[in-house]
Amino acid sequence: MKRTYEEINAKIQRGDAVVMTAEEAIKLAESNGIEKAAKEVDVVTTGTFGAMCSSGAFINFGHSEPPIRMKRVWLNGVPAYTGVASVDAYIGVTEEREGNGPPYGGAHVIEDLVSGKAVHLRATASGTDCYPRKDIDTYISLRTVNQAYMYNPRNAYQNYGVATNSSDRTLSTYMGKLLPHYGNMTYSSAGQLSPLLKDPTLRTIGIGTRIFLGGGIGYVAWEGTQYKTTPPVKNDVPVGPARSLAVIGDLRGMSTEFLQPLTFTGYGISLAIGIGIPIPILDEDIMRTAVLRDDQLFAPVFDYAIQSRNRKPIAEFSYAQLKSGSVELFGKKVQTSSLSSYYKARIIADRLKKMIEESEFMLTRPVERLPEERTQRALDVCSREDVL
Amino acid sequence: MTKKKIKLYFQPDKVNEPITYHLVKEYDIKFNILRAVVEEKGGRLLIEVEGQPAQISKGIAYLQSIGVDVKEMNEYVMKDVSRCTNCGMCVSICPAGAIEMDRETWEVIFDQGKCIACGLCVTACPPQAMKLKI
Repeated sequence: MKRTYEEINAKIQRGDAVVMTAEEAIKLAESNGIEKAAKEVDVVTTGTFGAMCSSGAFINFGHSEPPIRMKRVWLNGVPAYTGVASVDAYIGVTEEREGNGPPYGGAHVIEDLVSGKAVHLRATASGTDCYPRKDIDTYISLRTVNQAYMYNPRNAYQNYGVATNSSDRTLSTYMGKLLPHYGNMTYSSAGQLSPLLKDPTLRTIGIGTRIFLGGGIGYVAWEGTQYKTTPPVKNDVPVGPARSLAVIGDLRGMSTEFLQPLTFTGYGISLAIGIGIPIPILDEDIMRTAVLRDDQLFAPVFDYAIQSRNRKPIAEFSYAQLKSGSVELFGKKVQTSSLSSYYKARIIADRLKKMIEESEFMLTRPVERLPEERTQRALDVCSREDVL
Repeated sequence: MTKKKIKLYFQPDKVNEPITYHLVKEYDIKFNILRAVVEEKGGRLLIEVEGQPAQISKGIAYLQSIGVDVKEMNEYVMKDVSRCTNCGMCVSICPAGAIEMDRETWEVIFDQGKCIACGLCVTACPPQAMKLKI
């Protein structure tokens, strides 16, 4: 069985493509077998909704009168990066508001913009012959700015480690609150619904792939930062963090239903983003991975009490075990929590399915494939000569 | 037997009263201290009491007679459903088993009745959907 992008898109255009969420496709493959399921289904949709710290948005504010070349810029008190052209800035989601007060950061600024609120803009400059103005204090919104698009260097991680804590104090981490003495365990992948687990070698997800991003349409821009292909594999899928995506998409068209600022007490701020990716069923091989179940997908467990990049996995569990609510670790029953919302992941896979069924979302062949081999490097303290 | 959660507020001059002793001895009330705060301006105590309904009423009347401000609590932690993403971070944090994941719908179910108002879920909740009312 072979199918081309063109054939799939022609069917989508006619409104008769057979689209299923990964959960639905799993059920079909279980009852009818992978061969028949591949024949029947054109597209499998996936979804994930989790903390994606490596995210932010570029904004062009437009020129003031007289013009300013912004050197420092704050959005609702949150510093943005403006070391690019005069009125361009990048607001990162983890950047925090200066001063005291309730937690508020770049993620909240993006939420406010997307929900249509006015955002306070303050900028300072040194003043030049071509940009004489030295400061500005005003308000912006998505209606007033030129471009406002998300550019996220690392999203949609292909699998991730599970966190626990052997120490005798509670740890505040980006994996949430970790109770002492292996008091709990947190994981962050949607497992059988998670996009990059369903096409593990990224045959169909590459540069230019159209995706569901934060409620709107986005595209894969590049390999995500820390993209790597080296983790051990089980059932063709890496066990632990492997590939990731850099994605881009217009803030206009996104929805706060799929963007949620997160506050990790004692750690900082992040943004939960909803991402959905369609998997075109080009052949049986891709169907085989698209219907991998939670009991066939595994994640390593790391002890966050060990503050080292070299910590080794202390256990390994399937997503079926993790999602059951508790696992057994060193003879002790440990309760599990998810950091990503499976509830929302389902909504996203379903929403994307409907968009494709209603001919609102066409599939794309990658312009370029992402690396098939990549190792991850570390940062060491070196001399000038060492790094050459 | 009924169970109730009550919040007590007492002035600095009453902090030396052995009120819990009286509750046990005179009114046969079992209690569990959920939260206790003592400050310059007085003390606040959140307790769960268990006993005969009539005895609980008498116990509360006794507390009021010695000048303790008593408030029955029905809701200590509130869940803002508009912010909750149903991730489930709070599920493994709750020591009282008051928060569970519905594995059919993948929605987080919060059982107010089991809540002991410890507040652990409040600081653990990434979208800040859980708020402490005490």
